[in-house]
Amino acid sequence: MSIETASLTKHYVETKAIDNVSVSIGDDVQVLALIGPSGGGKSTFLRLIGGLESPTFGEVTVNGITLPVDDSALREWRKKNGFLFQSFNLFPHLTAEENVILPLAEVHQSSQEDAKNRAQEVLSRFGLAKHLGKQPGQLSGGQQQRVALARAIAHKPQWLLLDEPTSALDPEMKAEVLDLIEELQKSGQKIILSTHEMGFARRASDHVIFLSDGQKLEEGNAEELFENPKTAEVKLFLEKVMKW
Amino acid sequence: MKTFLGIFVSVVLGATFCFVFWIVVSHDYQWDAIAPYKGNFISGWWTTLLISAIALVGSILIGALLTSGQLSPWKVPRILSRSFVELIRGTPLLTQILIGYYLVAPAIGWDSRFGVGILVLSCFSGAYLSEIFRGGVESIPSSQWLSAKAIGFTDAQTYRFVVIPQAIRRVLPASAGQFANLIKDSSLLFVISVHEFTMQAREVNANTYATFEAYLPLIFGYFILTFPISLLSRSLEKRFAYEH
Repeated sequence: MSIETASLTKHYVETKAIDNVSVSIGDDVQVLALIGPSGGGKSTFLRLIGGLESPTFGEVTVNGITLPVDDSALREWRKKNGFLFQSFNLFPHLTAEENVILPLAEVHQSSQEDAKNRAQEVLSRFGLAKHLGKQPGQLSGGQQQRVALARAIAHKPQWLLLDEPTSALDPEMKAEVLDLIEELQKSGQKIILSTHEMGFARRASDHVIFLSDGQKLEEGNAEELFENPKTAEVKLFLEKVMKW
Repeated sequence: MKTFLGIFVSVVLGATFCFVFWIVVSHDYQWDAIAPYKGNFISGWWTTLLISAIALVGSILIGALLTSGQLSPWKVPRILSRSFVELIRGTPLLTQILIGYYLVAPAIGWDSRFGVGILVLSCFSGAYLSEIFRGGVESIPSSQWLSAKAIGFTDAQTYRFVVIPQAIRRVLPASAGQFANLIKDSSLLFVISVHEFTMQAREVNANTYATFEAYLPLIFGYFILTFPISLLSRSLEKRFAYEH
């Protein structure tokens, strides 16, 4: 599946979050990493591709079909993907199991029984079999993010969109979640992630886009971009973040 | 320090309560004077119960309607709901009852003081409830809306499965207070001669000149109506509780 953006632009009141970004993600790309400084537009770009927001100008094309601007039509595209957010965003009034069951039953029209079986399957796969009946407030950050990941993949999404999935976690929990994402990557899941984890981006992704001030500064093969950045800004950024 | 403060507050409150209770109890009452009017009190209490129960349901419906108007994406329902809420909350209930029964009801050929009373009370309490409901809905973090959108929920599904279950827990204490107010406010229906509990006490007082004996039963009569609401609210708060 290919994704292309043409002159993609997103303006908020006084901010150009994404400014005229055109990229072409070919069918051969399995993991795309969005990197760059904070506030550079990674999250907005991810949300535009995932159909969570509509562009001010420009368009997103998936397999040659342009995504609609109308929100209810865009919902069909969102349903096909899975999202994971930095702050987990689980529903606090539901148990871990219910958090996974709800979208399966209400959005993807699975029967309650099928949804329950699938929820138990993915949650067990992520080491959460003992925590099915717990609400998010009773789980650690790492466990919550694993539940959120289970919810995002339970319906077998075309693309898994991860928005800085480990930024709110301590190092141990971060490793737990990154291990799971790597496992998903190895199982063939297509992933787009925005991240500050340069080591992970370098190891797991096969294509990288560097965004700064809402603009694409560089794009290319992960190994190549990390080894030989072409622009001074990307070089400086990578030197800084890879130093420690 | 905390313990000391706790003991001090308990002693002051306990002493004040005992003092007031003693003053009230030690008064030389003439209960014989109001004994023949026992039936009036009972029928008045039942009338108050009936009015309050119907107005309570009515106020929830009107409150929910006004809330959806205020949160509507369209300007006209927003302005109309907002204006209605401001007008009702900013003017005395007594005047609203008078205008409702003596001006509006005759103009549409409706001659039921009981019905008009219930409708005005429902509107009055509904306006307050709508602000409580709106506060509850708006207190749900934007991350929950985003998460619901990401899993492919429609707006209606987001309200049903995500927002309302969480908002209920938040609006319960304030709503219970408003329901208690509604019960007590029903006493103002005496201005259109609805023979509710307070109206009966006024008539007993006018006939016997035994003021305290006529009005004291109101304390117990209203308390047994409002206290169960408080208990129910606390039990529902526990039922809808979740950890943040």
